[in-house]
Amino acid sequence: MSDTPIYLDHAATTAVSASVRAAMLQALEAEFGNPSSRHPLGSAARELVEEARRQVAAATGARSEDVTFTSGGTEANNLAVLGLARAVAPKSSGDEAQVLIGPTEHPSVRAAAAALGREGLIVETMRLDAEGRLDVAHAAERIGPGTRLVAQMLVNNEFGTLYDTRRLARAVCARGGPETHLHIDAVQALGKLPVEITSLFEAASLSGSLALSAHKIHGPKGAGALVFARGARRPTPLVFGGGQENDLRPGTENVPGIVGFGRAAVDATRDPAAVFAALEAARHSFEAAVAIELPTARVLVPYTDGAHSSPHVLSLEVPGAPAEVWLHHLEVQGVFASAGSACAAHDTELSPALLALGLDKSAARRVLRFSFDATTTQAECERAAQALGRIAPALESL
Amino acid sequence: MSSTPELILIRYGELALKGGNRSFFEKRLADNIENAAAPIARTKVYRERGRMTAVLKEHPERVLAVARRLQEVPGITSVSACIGAEPDAEILSSIVNTELAARLEFEPGPVRFRIRARRADKRFPLTSPELNRYIAERLPEELWGKLEVDLEKPVLEVGVEIRDKRAFVYLDRLQGLGGLPVGTLGRAVCLLSGGIDSPVAAYFAMRRGCRTSFISFLSPPYIGEPSRQKIISLVRKVGRFQPRNQVHFVPFAEIQEAIRDLCPAPYRTILYRRFMQRIASRIAHRSRARALVTGESIGQVASQTLENIACIEAAANLPVIRPLICFDKDETTQIAARIGTLAISNQPEPDCCTVFMPRAPVIRGRIEDCVEAEALLDMDGLMRRALTGTEHLEVEAEA
Repeated sequence: MSDTPIYLDHAATTAVSASVRAAMLQALEAEFGNPSSRHPLGSAARELVEEARRQVAAATGARSEDVTFTSGGTEANNLAVLGLARAVAPKSSGDEAQVLIGPTEHPSVRAAAAALGREGLIVETMRLDAEGRLDVAHAAERIGPGTRLVAQMLVNNEFGTLYDTRRLARAVCARGGPETHLHIDAVQALGKLPVEITSLFEAASLSGSLALSAHKIHGPKGAGALVFARGARRPTPLVFGGGQENDLRPGTENVPGIVGFGRAAVDATRDPAAVFAALEAARHSFEAAVAIELPTARVLVPYTDGAHSSPHVLSLEVPGAPAEVWLHHLEVQGVFASAGSACAAHDTELSPALLALGLDKSAARRVLRFSFDATTTQAECERAAQALGRIAPALESL
Repeated sequence: MSSTPELILIRYGELALKGGNRSFFEKRLADNIENAAAPIARTKVYRERGRMTAVLKEHPERVLAVARRLQEVPGITSVSACIGAEPDAEILSSIVNTELAARLEFEPGPVRFRIRARRADKRFPLTSPELNRYIAERLPEELWGKLEVDLEKPVLEVGVEIRDKRAFVYLDRLQGLGGLPVGTLGRAVCLLSGGIDSPVAAYFAMRRGCRTSFISFLSPPYIGEPSRQKIISLVRKVGRFQPRNQVHFVPFAEIQEAIRDLCPAPYRTILYRRFMQRIASRIAHRSRARALVTGESIGQVASQTLENIACIEAAANLPVIRPLICFDKDETTQIAARIGTLAISNQPEPDCCTVFMPRAPVIRGRIEDCVEAEALLDMDGLMRRALTGTEHLEVEAEA
């Protein structure tokens, strides 16, 4: 057994790559100016930020003027959910303001929507069908002219399901009003599956946006973006200040973080076919090894071909002990994974996403998430599965 | 769409009228299309009887992004992303039904539509009208409930095209820019300021097929690097309508200082502009450009009265094209917003025209007065130093 830990928690975060690090160092050391400064150091920093904006735009097929940098995925989701729902002037009569969110959203969408609920908006939640797919027909019945915002993730962070947001977009387009906005949290999708703003909001007139995060794609923590479809409505800002980011997100730009994000976005989308093949290979070898080492584990969302789920997340319902106990035993074996979503691991609350998937409370406490990266090797996957096999006898019957 | 489109069908209008030059126009358009698509996905264009098809050689998932990009390539009237299939009526009919069902799934009311079948391969057993009928007759009842035939102004056009080995189905016709392929009508040079108008003027010149380079006048140290960056941002944005972009940055402070020191103050702006026309004409000649393009509009500012325009134009020795000459500011602003330059133009950076602005500029300038004032200047020396100090910069436009 090797001493190097096997990191299978790439859905939580990834290591900063060498090229990202080099680009960031340049921004930290040489080009340290404030992009708003009028001297050449300021202009150089401005140019770095704008270059990164073009890179993130290109990675998603957007226009650079439609990219707003944020402090990460959480802020991008908050800015979209709160900002777009609040951007519509209250109607004197008629339709009640409503927002509709996905059944398995990240806490940054769920909690923001809950805040809107406290402001008096009606908040409804979509549901999954028996196959674990988004029930778009059910959602369509809940979309009307009073719907200000529909928020849905593209790839689930806890079990990898890819949701049919294009069908949802058609429902929004057909049923929503002129002010209905569709926000898609693409944090887990970027770099793994195509994230194309034109096809996601294919219905030409749809106001739409995407949330992205840098640290899931080998960029730094503390950088993300809200990317708008062409002609999309703009949110009311959450913070106020000196006009940066078109006043949508004022504050001196996080230049090193933004530069790192731009570089990471280029790297992550350069060869999507190769990345996808590597992720599939990792997933298949891990799944095959688990079937031998721990046959009593159940794969939550079986993987077929990338049309319905992303290969980079594999969640297992394990027998016996709670996931937390399995995690710490795996830790001792040098394997790092997580329970459900990393953010919920410290929560006593059960993951609403797992419950929406149909798990009972006991099963929801016993979900381990393994997530891969294009650099994950077959040997690592096999060793991780063997580690599961070694700890199983002590935990299976707990 | 529920299936991924396989290729992009490209239609163009005016080119078809170009007689003997048609092949030259088509070749240029094909090159421009490949060039525009390249940053999104490497794309190959095939020319065939009055239209073109574009096929992505990588990133197949980006076909819609490329289709959207082609909406901004001058010379194209419309594009459609198409699903490919066997040239078989039954298969085509079933694809149409699947695609329409997906598109109309949540539509409550009737959507106006038409079917447009086209048989380019005459060996196909059904004629175009027969294929139209065949498709229509096989639309299921529940789809008919959501459809209403409208041959004149349909919202949805169900297109079916039969080629020799392959057939295509599309539901959308994305409007193109029209105009002519950039590079088919020679070269022009646009005088670009940081304002709203000149980028729009450049856009119109490009749309009419002129490959357009840019000249911008800078006055350091009166204005700084941010003004230069603003010009580069504008070129990056408006430059996406053509394949390559070049900016010539001309140092202008010495000329402005000489005019300030030696010439009547009310004539300053006109004299600046006469120098700009002279310098632009020289640079245009060197780059084999045949016209200057400006964003002037009658009466918009003091320097743009008919008299002053005449004074300024007299210094040019090439035709001066002014696409916006009779536009209202509102109209220009709307176009600037549409082509994405407005937000950049609105950044409050000074440009060289504002340096030493006279309190009372002349409204009805006279050419004789301009010539008399210029007699006080070392014209040759000023021109030579401005031209030798000019920076020539290649700028990569945004995709």
